[in-house]
Amino acid sequence: MAVCAAIVGKDNSPKFFCCVNPDEELNFQYKVLSSLDIIEEKLSPGIKPNTEMYLGILYSLENWKIYGYVTNTKIKFIIVVDSSNLTLRDNEIRSMFRKIHAEYADMVSNPFYIPGEPITSKTFTCSIKNIITGTV
Amino acid sequence: MRSSVSYILSTGPTEPNMSHPDYEQFSHDHAALLILLKHIGAQLKPKIFNKFYDRISKINEVKVTDSTGQVRNILVRFIKEHPVENNDWGDFQTHRRLLGLVSLGKYDSQVELNEVCRVHESLKVKYNATLYDSRCILFGPAGSIDDPEKEHFTTPSNFKTRALFYDELSVCADLEQQITEFISALFWVLESKRLERSREKLERVSLLYAPFEKKDFVGLDMESRQNKKRCTGRMTKHLGDLCLQAGLISECLQYYTNAADILKSVNDWLWLGGAFEGLSAASALVLYPNMQRNEHFQRIGSLPEGSPKKPSMDTLQNQTVVVKKNIPNVLSPDDIAKRYREAIIHYSKYQNAGIIETEASFKAARISVEQNHALQAASFLQNVVYINLSLSEQEKIQRFETLSDLYTQIGFNRKAAFCLRLAATRYVSQQNPSPNWNRCYALMLQSLSGHKLILDPVEMIEADQGWPILQVQILQDLIVAAKRAGYSALATRHMTFLLQTMWHNLSDTEQKELSIQLQGLSVQCEGSPVPLVFTLRDLKPHLRPKVIEKEKEDTGPFLFTPIHFGTGSLDRRRDKTNPKMEFVWVENEVCEVTLKLVNPLPFELKVSNMRLLTSGVVFESIPETVVLAPDVPTSLTLSGWARESGELEITGYSTHALGVKSNCRLKYMSNSFPSQYKVDVAPNLPVLQASTSLPQSASFSNIHDDNIVTSASVSLYHGETVCCTITLTNTSQIPIEMLDVLISSGLEPMVQDQIFQFDQEDVKIILPLLPAQSATFTVKIYGAANFLAPNSAASPTIPNEYNSGFFSSMSTSLPGTSLSRVNSSFRSSNSGHSSLAGGLTTLFQQQPGSSTVEAQLKLRYSGGGGLQAQYCRISTVFFMVELLPSLHVTNWDVLPAETSTQFYLVLDIVNLTSQEMELEYAPSKRMLVEAQESCRVPVPIDRCPLSKLSNFYDEGDRSLRTLMDVNKICSEHISDQAKLKWLLNTTDAKGVASLKGITLSSRMLDIVRMSPLDWDVRINGDTVTAQDDISCEAGDSLELQMSIGNSLGISIKDLTLSIQFYQDYNNGTLNYRMDTRLALSGTAKKVLPSLDPRDVAKHKCNVVFFTPGLYKMDIQCHSPDGSVHTTGQLIPMGHIWKFTPPISIQVK
Repeated sequence: MAVCAAIVGKDNSPKFFCCVNPDEELNFQYKVLSSLDIIEEKLSPGIKPNTEMYLGILYSLENWKIYGYVTNTKIKFIIVVDSSNLTLRDNEIRSMFRKIHAEYADMVSNPFYIPGEPITSKTFTCSIKNIITGTV
Repeated sequence: MRSSVSYILSTGPTEPNMSHPDYEQFSHDHAALLILLKHIGAQLKPKIFNKFYDRISKINEVKVTDSTGQVRNILVRFIKEHPVENNDWGDFQTHRRLLGLVSLGKYDSQVELNEVCRVHESLKVKYNATLYDSRCILFGPAGSIDDPEKEHFTTPSNFKTRALFYDELSVCADLEQQITEFISALFWVLESKRLERSREKLERVSLLYAPFEKKDFVGLDMESRQNKKRCTGRMTKHLGDLCLQAGLISECLQYYTNAADILKSVNDWLWLGGAFEGLSAASALVLYPNMQRNEHFQRIGSLPEGSPKKPSMDTLQNQTVVVKKNIPNVLSPDDIAKRYREAIIHYSKYQNAGIIETEASFKAARISVEQNHALQAASFLQNVVYINLSLSEQEKIQRFETLSDLYTQIGFNRKAAFCLRLAATRYVSQQNPSPNWNRCYALMLQSLSGHKLILDPVEMIEADQGWPILQVQILQDLIVAAKRAGYSALATRHMTFLLQTMWHNLSDTEQKELSIQLQGLSVQCEGSPVPLVFTLRDLKPHLRPKVIEKEKEDTGPFLFTPIHFGTGSLDRRRDKTNPKMEFVWVENEVCEVTLKLVNPLPFELKVSNMRLLTSGVVFESIPETVVLAPDVPTSLTLSGWARESGELEITGYSTHALGVKSNCRLKYMSNSFPSQYKVDVAPNLPVLQASTSLPQSASFSNIHDDNIVTSASVSLYHGETVCCTITLTNTSQIPIEMLDVLISSGLEPMVQDQIFQFDQEDVKIILPLLPAQSATFTVKIYGAANFLAPNSAASPTIPNEYNSGFFSSMSTSLPGTSLSRVNSSFRSSNSGHSSLAGGLTTLFQQQPGSSTVEAQLKLRYSGGGGLQAQYCRISTVFFMVELLPSLHVTNWDVLPAETSTQFYLVLDIVNLTSQEMELEYAPSKRMLVEAQESCRVPVPIDRCPLSKLSNFYDEGDRSLRTLMDVNKICSEHISDQAKLKWLLNTTDAKGVASLKGITLSSRMLDIVRMSPLDWDVRINGDTVTAQDDISCEAGDSLELQMSIGNSLGISIKDLTLSIQFYQDYNNGTLNYRMDTRLALSGTAKKVLPSLDPRDVAKHKCNVVFFTPGLYKMDIQCHSPDGSVHTTGQLIPMGHIWKFTPPISIQVK
C-alpha cells in the first residue's frame, strides 16, 4: 500500500519517519519536506476554514502521491503512496490516517514519552509499518 | 494538469523548435512591444551600458493618442538578448516578435564609429524579418557632441538608422523623449499593420503556422471548411494579439473570445490554447495592471516563511471591479486561472510546444501569485517540472532558479530550497560540459534557509529545528561544493558548523569520518586564517565546577582584605547568581584554571594552542597542547597572567583541534555552566619567603592550611627556652610595606603567650622590606608546663581540706570563683576542672609524658598597589613543639625559717628526664639529681609581705574575696620567688621550672605571709629574734614584754592574746603541762576588745622556771569567728596568728 509514513511536529520538524525501503529514506525525506509547504498553505488561516483533519492529496509526483493529515494539535501525518497503485482508494488512505492517529495517540499517552521529542519506540515503528503495508 | 494524450498531435523532435525559453515572462508581456537594447562595440563599459539600460527600461509604458483621439496605453519590454529563432513563434504569439532595436555604442575615432554603425546595421539585418524600426545611441568622445561636424565624426553613408549622439557623462536630457518618440514610431507601424490585417477578409486569409506545424499542413486541402475555419480562427487570434499590443483591450478580448469559439470547433488545440492564454493575459492586464516585473527584488533567504503574501487583494479588486464591468468579455480572476490551465493542457499535447507550455506555466503562476493563490501557483509550477524539454543545462538551471524564486514568492520555502538544490546540482552534473562549482556553491548556500539552516551556529543550536537528516546531507553537499569550488576555508568552516550543530544527529561512524575529513580539510586551508568565532562542541568539554587557584610555591594563594579579615564578609559579598569566585587573583602572577575535557571521537585528538578566553582586564594566557584519548576525561590546567587589576571574566577557552581554531564559550556549552566565571584580580602584591632557624617538621599533623609555607619543629623540656629566628626575604619586585605577625593555635591565649613570645617592635623595624632584601626576627619558644604533681596532697603532714582536684585546676585564673562552687567541687576529679581550665589542663593531663603543641605563625603582609587596594597575603609558618617533661614537684610544704622574714618551701622534686640533672633551687645552692630520682630541697623564700595582701585586707565589703584569693596571691608570691633552674649535664639543656599554681593550706598561708600583727617581743627588755637562744637559770624571773601593732587598715575586734609554754620532746610529743615547772606572774591571756589600725597593744608578764630544760613559748593572738573579714567560714574556729618561730628558752 503506502511506501512511507512520516509524523511531523507542530514546529515542522520530523518526529517519526518510516520507509518500507530504508534505502530510499533520504529521497522520501525530501518529498515529505516539500509537501509541508502545501500543508502549511492549506492550514494558513486565510484560505478557508478546514474542519477536516484529512487534507487529501498534497502532491502528485511522477511515481508517488503524497497525502496529508493534520491533527487538532498541528501534528502532521504524511503518507507517500506509489502512484502506480490505482486500486488504492481515498477511503483506504483515510482509514490509514485514522489508524496512524490512533497509534500516535496511544504512543503519546506513554508517560515516558516527552511530547515534542522524536519518537523512537520500536513498538510504534512496528505498528506504523504494519499500517502502511496494510498487514493490519 | 497535463493532457493524458501527450504528444499525440506532435511530430518528431527534429522539427524546428524554439529552444530558448524566456522564464521571466509575465502575462503582461503579451501586450508589450519587444525592444532589444543591445550593447555594441568594445568601447562602452558594461557598467555604463547597464546604467543606460536601467534608465531606458523605466520607460515601460507610453501613452499615445491615435488617429481617433483615443489614448492608447502601449507597454514596452526591453531585453538585452533575443535569439532570432524566437521570432519564428511571432505568428503564434505576436509579442514574441522583436519590433524595435536600440543599440548603444561608444567611439573615440571615426574608425570606431564606423565599426559601431556596421554592427548596428548587421543587427538590423539579423532581425530584419520582424524589426519595425531601430535607433543607435552613440557616445562620442568628450566634447564631440556639441560640435560633431567639427570633429568630422560622421556616420557612414550606408548607415540608415537614426543616430542619437550623447556624451556618456552628461545628463542626456532628451534620451527619454527620444525613446518615447521611438516607441510611438513603433506603435504607428504596429497600428498600420493591425489595421491592414483587420481589413483583410477573414474568409480569404492565409493559414498562420506555429513553426513546427508547417509540415503538417503540406498537401492538405486548405479549402476545406475545417481548414477555412482554422484559418479564420487563427487569424482572429492573431488580430487579438495585435490589438492587445496596440493597447486595444476590449477589441482584443473580443477577438480572443471569438477565436476561442472558432478554434474549439475545429479542435485546433495549440491555437485554442493560444487564444485562451491571450484571453487570460488580457484579462489579467485589466485586473492586475500593477503586476510588475520589479517584484523580483524579493530574494531568497531574506524572507521569513509565509511572508511574501500580498498584503491585501481587496483594494486592488475593488479598483478593478469597475473596469471589469465596463469591458465585456473580461474573465473573472478564477476564470483566468482556469483558462490558463486549459491553455497549458492544450499546449501539453504538443511536444514542440514545450517551451510555450513552460512559459505559460510560469506566467500563470505569476498571475496566481498576484491573486495570492499559493496552491494554484504551486500546481502551475509543479507542472513545469514535468515538461520534458531538451534544454541546455544552463536553461535547466535557469528554470529551477525561476521556480525557486516563484516558490519563495508564494512562501513555499522548502520547495524553493529544493529547486535551488536541484539547480545547484545541475551546475555540476555530469551532463554539464562546463561544471561551475562556484555557482553550485552559491546556490547551495541560498538553499540553506529553506532547510532551516542558519549559518550562525549559536542561533542554529538554539533554534533546533528542521530535518536533521536532510540538513546533514545538505551540509555535506555544501562542503563538497565549497571544496570543489576551491573555498577550502569555507569548506572547513562548514564542516565545523556541521560537526558543531549536527553532532547529536550523526552516527558514531559519521562523527568519526567527518572529523577526519575536517582534519583533511583544515590541512588544505592552512595559511588562510579565517576568524572562526564559534564553539566546536565535539570536544564536549567539562569545565570543572570550580576554577581552582594554583598553590604557589612560596606564598599562600588566598588573599584577604585586612578589613574584612575573619568576619566572613568574603562569603557575604558573594552573590549566589553571580558566578564570582571566592578568591582573588593577583596581577602579574600565574593563575590557573583546571578543566576536564572529554574527547568523544573514537581516536586520539590532539588539541593544541589551548588558551583561556577572557574579558575584562588584560589577561595573558599560556597556550597548552594536550592529546586527548578517546572517551577518557582528561584534566588540563590552563594558566596565564592577569596584567591588570580589576574584574576578570573567564568566558571560555580557545582550541586548535583538527586543524581548526575555535573559541569555545561557556555560555554555548550544553553543560550547565554559568556563562562566565568572574575573578577579582588584585593589584600586584609582594611575595615573601619565610624560613626558620629550626629544622622543618616531618609532617603537618592535624592543621590543614594552604598558607603554610614552611615549618619548624623543636623538642623542649619543660621550662626550657629556645629562640627561633624567622628569616623573611622579599622575592618579588614590590617592597613590603605592611607586615603583621600573629600566632594562632588551639591553645588558650594565655598559655600560647607563655609558649610563644616575640617582640612586635622587632617586626616593625623590618619594614619596609625592599625587593630581594632579607630581615629576621626572633620568636622565643618556652616549654611551658605545670611542674606540680597533680594528684599529690599538699603536704602529708597536714590533713588538708583542699584535695588534689584543686591542684589540677591550679590555673591562676580559675573561672567562677564562688565559694560554693569551689566547695562543692573540691572533691571532684580532675576532669571536673579540666573543662574549666581548658587547653592547659588537657595539655598537662598528659604529664608526665611528652606532649605536642602545634601553632601557626601567620605573616600577613602587603605592599605596592595591593596594599592601597587593601589586599594582603598570608604566609604561615607552622610550629611543632614537642614538650618533654623535665622535673616535677610531687610534694611541698612550708616550714618557718630561722628568721621571721623568711620561710622554707620544702619541695619533693623528681627528675623525669633520663639524664642527670643539676638543680639550682636557690642562689648558689645546687644539687644533683639522678635520672628518675627524686630529692627534697628547702627553698628559702621571703614571706609574702602584707603590702601584697593589703588590698585584700582593705577590701571593705564582705565580698566573694576568700581564702582562695589569699592563696592565689601567696602562690604567685612563691612562684615569683622560687626559680628552680635546672641543667641537664649531658645535653646542656637548661631551663627554669616555675611553681606557678602552687596551692597552700591555711596553715601554710600563715607561714607564707607576713602576719598582719606587728609583733614586738622583749625578754628582759631585749628584743627577741628567731635565731636568738635565750638562756637563763632556773628560778630567774624573765620579764616578757610584748606589744602587738595592727598593721592592717581596719580594726581587729575581740582579739585574745595568749601565752603558752610547752616542752617539745622532739619525738612528736608536746607537753603543755607546765604547772609544776614554771610559774607565771601576770595573766597568760589578755582580751583586747578592739585593736585599731596603727594602734599598739601592750602586755607584760613575768615567768619563773622551776626546773632546767628546754622550754618553748608560744605567743598567739586569737580572733574569734567573724572578727576579721578575711576568715569567713573557712576557719570556723576563728583565726590564730602566732609569733613565729616559737621562742625557745634554755633553762639551766
